[in-house]
Amino acid sequence: MVQLPKLNELGFFEIRLESIGGLGANLAGKMLAEAGVEGAGLNGVSFSSYGSEKKGSPVKAHIRFCDLKTPIRDTSPVERPHIVAIFQEALAKTVNVISGIYEDSTVLVNSRKSPAELKNQMKLLGGTIAVVDATGIALEEKNRVNMAMLGAMFRLCPFLDPQTMKDVIRKSLEAKYPQSVAPALATFERGYQEVTFETFPLPEGMSMPSFVRADTPILGYQTQPIGGIVANPGNSILKDLSISRSGMMPHFKADACIHCAQCDNVCPDNCFVWEELPDKRGRLQMFLQGIDYQYCKGCLKCIHACPTDALSGEREEEGYAEANRFPHRFDLAVQ
Amino acid sequence: MAMDIAKERGTAKVEQRVVYESGNEMAAYAAHQINYHIMGYFPISPSTEVAQFLDLMKANGEHDIKLIPSDGEHSSAGICYGASTAGGRVFNATSANGYMYMLEQMPVQSGTRFPMVMNLVCRSISGPLDIHGDHSDLYFALNTGWPILMCRDPQAVYDMNIMAIKLAEDPEVRLPVLVASDGYFTSHQKRRVHTFAHKEDVLKFVGEQPPAGFPDTLDRNNPITVGPYMNEPDYINNRYQQSQAMYKAEEVFERIAEEYELLTGRKYEMLDTYRMEDAEVAVFLMNSASEIIKDVVDNLRSQGIKAGSIAPNMIRPFPQRKIAEALKNVKAVTVGDRADSYGAHGGNMSNEIKAALFTYGNTTTQVVSRVYGLGGKEFYAEDGHYLFSLAIEAANSQRVEVPFDYYGHTPGDAEKAPKRLLKPLRFEDLKTGLITVTKNEESGKLGVRIPPLRALTKKPKRIAPGHGACPGCGIFSGLELFFKGIEGDIVALFHTGCAMVVTTGYPYSSHKATYIHNLFQNGAATLSGVVEMFWERKRRGELDDLGLQDDFTFVMVTGDGGMDIGMGPAIGAALRNHRMIIVEYDNEGYMNTGAQLSYSTPLGHRTSTSNIGSVQKGKVFHHKDTAQIMAATNIPYVFTGSEAYPQDLVKKAAKAQWYAQNEGLVYGKILIACPLNWISPDDEGTNIVDAAVNSCFFPLYEVERGETAITYNPDEKGKRVPLVDWLKTMGKTRHLIKPENSEALAEFEREVNRRWQVLLAKHEHPFL
Repeated sequence: MVQLPKLNELGFFEIRLESIGGLGANLAGKMLAEAGVEGAGLNGVSFSSYGSEKKGSPVKAHIRFCDLKTPIRDTSPVERPHIVAIFQEALAKTVNVISGIYEDSTVLVNSRKSPAELKNQMKLLGGTIAVVDATGIALEEKNRVNMAMLGAMFRLCPFLDPQTMKDVIRKSLEAKYPQSVAPALATFERGYQEVTFETFPLPEGMSMPSFVRADTPILGYQTQPIGGIVANPGNSILKDLSISRSGMMPHFKADACIHCAQCDNVCPDNCFVWEELPDKRGRLQMFLQGIDYQYCKGCLKCIHACPTDALSGEREEEGYAEANRFPHRFDLAVQ
Repeated sequence: MAMDIAKERGTAKVEQRVVYESGNEMAAYAAHQINYHIMGYFPISPSTEVAQFLDLMKANGEHDIKLIPSDGEHSSAGICYGASTAGGRVFNATSANGYMYMLEQMPVQSGTRFPMVMNLVCRSISGPLDIHGDHSDLYFALNTGWPILMCRDPQAVYDMNIMAIKLAEDPEVRLPVLVASDGYFTSHQKRRVHTFAHKEDVLKFVGEQPPAGFPDTLDRNNPITVGPYMNEPDYINNRYQQSQAMYKAEEVFERIAEEYELLTGRKYEMLDTYRMEDAEVAVFLMNSASEIIKDVVDNLRSQGIKAGSIAPNMIRPFPQRKIAEALKNVKAVTVGDRADSYGAHGGNMSNEIKAALFTYGNTTTQVVSRVYGLGGKEFYAEDGHYLFSLAIEAANSQRVEVPFDYYGHTPGDAEKAPKRLLKPLRFEDLKTGLITVTKNEESGKLGVRIPPLRALTKKPKRIAPGHGACPGCGIFSGLELFFKGIEGDIVALFHTGCAMVVTTGYPYSSHKATYIHNLFQNGAATLSGVVEMFWERKRRGELDDLGLQDDFTFVMVTGDGGMDIGMGPAIGAALRNHRMIIVEYDNEGYMNTGAQLSYSTPLGHRTSTSNIGSVQKGKVFHHKDTAQIMAATNIPYVFTGSEAYPQDLVKKAAKAQWYAQNEGLVYGKILIACPLNWISPDDEGTNIVDAAVNSCFFPLYEVERGETAITYNPDEKGKRVPLVDWLKTMGKTRHLIKPENSEALAEFEREVNRRWQVLLAKHEHPFL
């Protein structure tokens, strides 16, 4: 049997995947675990965080490997991972993706940035950063991000045999999606080959941030209104959904807009911001002002609805949404 | 996926193999090996996967179980009951409120003594709705008269399922058996599991056929009367028989488990004890948490503390004597209940353990009772240490300071409690006066004038942004467009479904006006109550101080799933003709629980319970015509709509409001896209529903005071497209275009055309 590189006190090598729903992290985690258990003969357990979260919402997948003699009793999520794989770089904005890592853990990020840039961005004190442009590879190979990430994760798990993984990919896909076997294998291989690493030793005299379990809600039994009632109408406006966008976003050109409201009619996320203003003849009319990107999930339905070229679908560049957001003006009770 | 490790455990007499699967997969796997006759089921998380896995296997011809998608758990339990009276083997799986909905069928199943097996994949019960795991559903099962087997991990799910049918059918038992595992912790975590390598060996163990000699309803020479009317003095004797059979199940289980151990090397005792031989302190937990606690026991033992843990493999019959024996020399035990028995000063297990100790004369063991892990709250090793610390403290002091409490609840920080964020919507913004509805006194029909849709962007949206729907979800564009036609205040009720879940994740709400969620099936009844209370309180003058400028418009929002399980209450509300609107967003499936088929799923469409395989090609029966069903209740107004035709939908909304405020119930169906489960691009939703309209699959029409009017005729507009132009846009239907499925496609086309022709005739003739 293969040797696991590191073990925690209960005898586990632990991996956590951080993603948004729809990128295939659940499937990738499942396949990685199968490769370890069925391919490498390890004992293991794997699962995803389940809720009613939909596509675009943050999700986690958890994998534990151990030798065959170690009993698996723990069903709780992976809190101290040896490897974290981050499928969506922007997640770090709202989720503590590197929570609980050790100083010798590896953090794999789907990104075009350098390890040093990512280290700063994630405020990582020490550890290894591995980078792969999984999105870029997936676009080029016309396949999915998760296959490229899986390839990269395999490089981080030298105890696993990539050949077994390729067999698992073939087996998992050929029944339902036979046409995607070849591109998936190519994407996996490129992820495996193109991942780059850099290790940042923990600076002398510093220690890794201590792990904090974040499971205490703000409201408790003394402060929840009885009966589970939410007495705060419309407070979902506090949410930032921009991490739900997986690469594309609409751009708005005001001068091409005829204010027909077709975009507004099809937008699932109420992103279009209107204002009543006098038109050329002085009559009050509704005018589209812009897009509130805080809520835009990048579905691009509005692009098709738009009869002019006021709306166009573009690759998301960093900072564009913040610079061009037209925020809703809510009628706030608290100022 | 099997690993080639024959007889991995040396003690197995019969060849075993190892798979890497979850609890739900193992329940399905065992069921397919047993090859039950019938499974009547209805989707509910987290048990739904059991039916999904069985359907996937069925699609490839791996078993013969007839899978019957019911219209709700009450029906699924009814199907199972009927099937079990008819002599074959019956299987089901459910969770939480699904179990609650079928609850009244449970004692009938046991009281009339028809064996079957059901998996309860345990989850919290509503409300508020929580989809994660605890034992609050399980505790309702305690008094149903079903033996209950407990599964701590996927291995136990498999083993217990194999043993359960044998226990249920045993001539001395003859009772339905419940197999309980923990939702998500066990149902969705993959583990290595040993199984029988061959189906034949499973059948040899459980018997090829159920034991003969018991009456069934298909024996024409020996007719029987099932379920007679039985009062005193007979009823108590029927109950006594049942009580005896239940206690008999203990020794029968032990006999079966022994036989099972001989074959497989896997041993199940009534009570699973861990390092209890000389234990002075113990913790009692059930299922998944009872495994985690073993790591804690090991840790405490390494510190020299004589700790042990006990967990039952069966809680009905309750292993009373064995528990008393296991605790005989224990100074203190903490009993963790993953559900409360409100007001009972302890969870059910705590109190039953106390009763066990008392019954066997043990008055010295201290019992600490704690309710923990509700609603899927994780149970960590640290929590186990805490439960042990309570037992250690009680052991040392020979008394229990706080006999009963919760553990894991938090007071909250008043400082951080969120303040009200938004002001109430202003009535004058909602009542724009831009839409006018006038009744034509001659025809009785309504005329509607709407402004350019641009003007209606002035009206505030009813749903706040920040909801968690998938990118490209058609629900909210469809609903908001509908609401553009509604003037003034609404009170909304949402059935369980995507729209409900993604708008109300606690402590957030996207609803700017009052909103209610009750149960999956009961929205129409619930809103009826709200409506009638409004009118009654208004009549009594109790709402005068609100200074309402106009009556509320009451709107119930449901998915097509809610109109399956809630069809009865919806028809009831329609027949009573309450002044309210039922608007259905139809995405052709149970998308909130993972894309199972609904009755509105069209023929041949792929869902997670209508899979494509070598012997099955998607859904096997036609889509439900809900609009026509509702029209048959003779309510004043029925409509269909789509976001692809915004003016049409806004006008219908305005009419709907007029009827709901002035005459009675309105029903409308909006076809909306579900990119995730239709397997279509996020940006194509509007175009896909447009193609559905133009292919005449989803005609736009209204039935006003019984008269049908097609409001958009693609033939007349020269926009008609063949059905395949719609089907080719979605991954769930693309297979229908392949030549090998041409027959199914032709059948679907025939049905769509037939319904369209009927509609055309109705459009022409006011009396149709």
